Amino acid sequence: MQEHSLKMFVFFSELLGRSVVDSNGKVLGKLTDMKVKLGELFPKVVSLSIRKKWRRGLLELDWSEIEGLTGHLIRLKPDAEKKIKPFAGNENEILLREELFDKQVVDTFGAKIERVNDIHLLVVDRELRIVHVDIGMRGIFRRLGWVKVIDSLTDFFFSYQIPEKMISWKYVQPLASDPQKKDLKLNVTLRKLHELHPSDLADILEELDQASRSRVFKSLDLSTAAETLQEVEPKYQLSLILSTSEELVSDILEEMEPDEATDLLAGLPQEKKTKLIQTMEKPSREKLEELLRFEEGTAGSIMTKDYIFIQGDKTIGDASELFKRTTHPLDTISYIYVTDEENHLIGVLTLRHLVLCDKDTPLSKLMNTNLIKVKTEDDVKEVKEIFKKYKFMAIPVVDEENRLSGIVTLRDAVESTSKDF
Amino acid sequence: MKALDKGYWKSRWKSFLIFLAVVGPGIITSNVDNDAGGIATYSMAGAHFGYGLLWSLIPIMVALVIIQEMSARMGVVTGKGLSDLIREKFGVRITVYLLTALIITNLGNVIAEFAGIASSLEIFRVSKSVSVPICAFVVWLLVVKGTYRSVEKVFLVACLFYVSYLISGFLADPDWSLVLRGFSRPAMKFTPGSLAMLIGLVGTTIAPWMQFYLQAAVVEKNINVRDYKHSRMDVILGSIVVTVVAAFIILTCAATLFKAGIRVETAKDAALALKPLAGKYCSALFAFGLLNASLFAASILPLSTAFVVCEGMGWETGVNKKFSEAPQFYGFYTLLIFFGAIVILLPGIPLFPIMYISQVINGIVLPLILVFMIILINDKKLMGNHVNRRAYNIISWTTVAILVGIAIAFLLSLLRI
Repeated sequence: MQEHSLKMFVFFSELLGRSVVDSNGKVLGKLTDMKVKLGELFPKVVSLSIRKKWRRGLLELDWSEIEGLTGHLIRLKPDAEKKIKPFAGNENEILLREELFDKQVVDTFGAKIERVNDIHLLVVDRELRIVHVDIGMRGIFRRLGWVKVIDSLTDFFFSYQIPEKMISWKYVQPLASDPQKKDLKLNVTLRKLHELHPSDLADILEELDQASRSRVFKSLDLSTAAETLQEVEPKYQLSLILSTSEELVSDILEEMEPDEATDLLAGLPQEKKTKLIQTMEKPSREKLEELLRFEEGTAGSIMTKDYIFIQGDKTIGDASELFKRTTHPLDTISYIYVTDEENHLIGVLTLRHLVLCDKDTPLSKLMNTNLIKVKTEDDVKEVKEIFKKYKFMAIPVVDEENRLSGIVTLRDAVESTSKDF
Repeated sequence: MKALDKGYWKSRWKSFLIFLAVVGPGIITSNVDNDAGGIATYSMAGAHFGYGLLWSLIPIMVALVIIQEMSARMGVVTGKGLSDLIREKFGVRITVYLLTALIITNLGNVIAEFAGIASSLEIFRVSKSVSVPICAFVVWLLVVKGTYRSVEKVFLVACLFYVSYLISGFLADPDWSLVLRGFSRPAMKFTPGSLAMLIGLVGTTIAPWMQFYLQAAVVEKNINVRDYKHSRMDVILGSIVVTVVAAFIILTCAATLFKAGIRVETAKDAALALKPLAGKYCSALFAFGLLNASLFAASILPLSTAFVVCEGMGWETGVNKKFSEAPQFYGFYTLLIFFGAIVILLPGIPLFPIMYISQVINGIVLPLILVFMIILINDKKLMGNHVNRRAYNIISWTTVAILVGIAIAFLLSLLRI
């Protein structure tokens, strides 16, 4: 009773296997697991699971029936034994032994996968809460029962003690899940992952096993999923796409830049590719289909449709207006392309023109007509050469009749060629 | 267009690499399986026992197929390594003791690989005090510099060396009726020597570390459960290849060495088995094969061990990490190579017996690992519908029982002397 009034730390490994006794001191069974309700910053233990000798199956008892954790016993309140019921799992609850102890978790602060050696609990206000998970050597030695021996050894030889290595529960994302709960909504329980940067997420996904990988991936929001998918290695991209529903994948594809989406689709089996494109919404689908017409390794296949173009008889003021309304990524709008009525490329302007020149000047007077451009079927290598030579941010891509089809940005060129080698 | 011929060779080379990439984990595993310890054990089995132990290869092959298939199945279904699964199911205590046993066993195998390197290069009159440190450093560098993947293919191609046993076996013109009888009539003397040889044959063909390695290789390939049947074919094919190679080494040695009454004490003795094929160059041919097998396994074994240990303990792994990021991984890897090499540098250490004894230890530790594998693969939570069928369980538990039985019989026979 009195121990509940003060704060007390305890390790899960020290509680596991303790005898559970009723108010008369009669042994009812052994503690085999504890159930924790997620959601709070430091979630609390809601029930114990107990195994009786010679009986199969787990029994469950509410935490409120616990009198105290004296000595090496877990003492129950009077009549608590009548409230023991068969074990049942619930959404948003995890079992410590089954789903956390010895399992992998993500440390969202260090963006790393760690293995749980022990769980650090705090008894406060008659409640038991998770505060840390132990990921250090000390936790391993504690569970092996070697702490004292190791401590005296290291102390004797090096005057040193192996320190505790713990992560606050704030930064711990559990991953393992009971297969019986597989179909429940997991977004809530995996929510801490959303604090990670997509490239960290990609690294973590690559290290996970296939089932956890696709579970985590499906829990991400669309734009994070899109960015993460681009960051993971190609072989994992494929397995992620194949293990995710077509609707979700096509939603994710719509979230991406069209040229990046085509890169991703290029690695897929033809059948899957067609299916995914058909599932996409019309505007994204059309953009994609146009890009996919070009052969791989050509300028057309890596170009983007996100660019600003305007007709030559318009003024600087018109161009500024157009510029203000655009939502394209920054590196695609360094230049403004000038076309005639039939979409032939006739000139180019830079952002500087928009800022410095008089609003009423017609574009045809200012634009640079000495254009460096590539054709849709030109080899990516040639495009790269041009970037090297002229140091542009982007190059316009035209078809056989000099009609503007798209642009290749420096970033696109770098990314595409780095994949080839 | 400008770089036409360069591009041509590049695409040729690329398609060659893709072809090799299709060679699956099962085939690679089986070729690493015929390492220094394997060659030594099979050679001694043939030289000292003639065709007498050939029969054992049939049950060994059945067990090998069953066990490797379980490893591959667990890898595909769970997507996790064996030590990972053991840790999650049995907790840290059992994991630590089991991994300790595995490290000791594997260190024995690493020592055997360096013994193979030393004895093969001694044929070329290179002293072991030169060959072993250099090879240890090269092996260490291969992994640390991340160039291992590209060298792996060279090792694999060089495994065609085993064909020379096939040819030599035929050229030696063995009495095929005796060979057939060796296969069909199980005969066994219950002496420590023949019991140890039987355990050695099992231990070298079904090495404990192979199960960890194969499962990790399958996980790394990221094979989908739907494609599992290909994986199974790969494993079965690999197991058959191992056994055929083993059978031909034993047979060839029986037809040459056993017939001539030569006992295998050094690499030179074992090389004589290739005399029908290579004549006076047999030593050079054998040395080349042994060196390749030893180097191949020496670059995989320490790496696989370090990987397995760190995975089970939850330490950072991977050759693309810096030393400070994965100190335990690089530490284990380096220490295994270091100790493996240093033992061989001790003056007067008998190289061939070491290769053989390490395989006997393999055979004694194997049932322990198998028990964990069988329990794991019958866990419905992990494997779902892919748990073992009843017949599978019967065969695998019988294998364990027989292995434990032989090990006990061996220990008892040792005591009687």
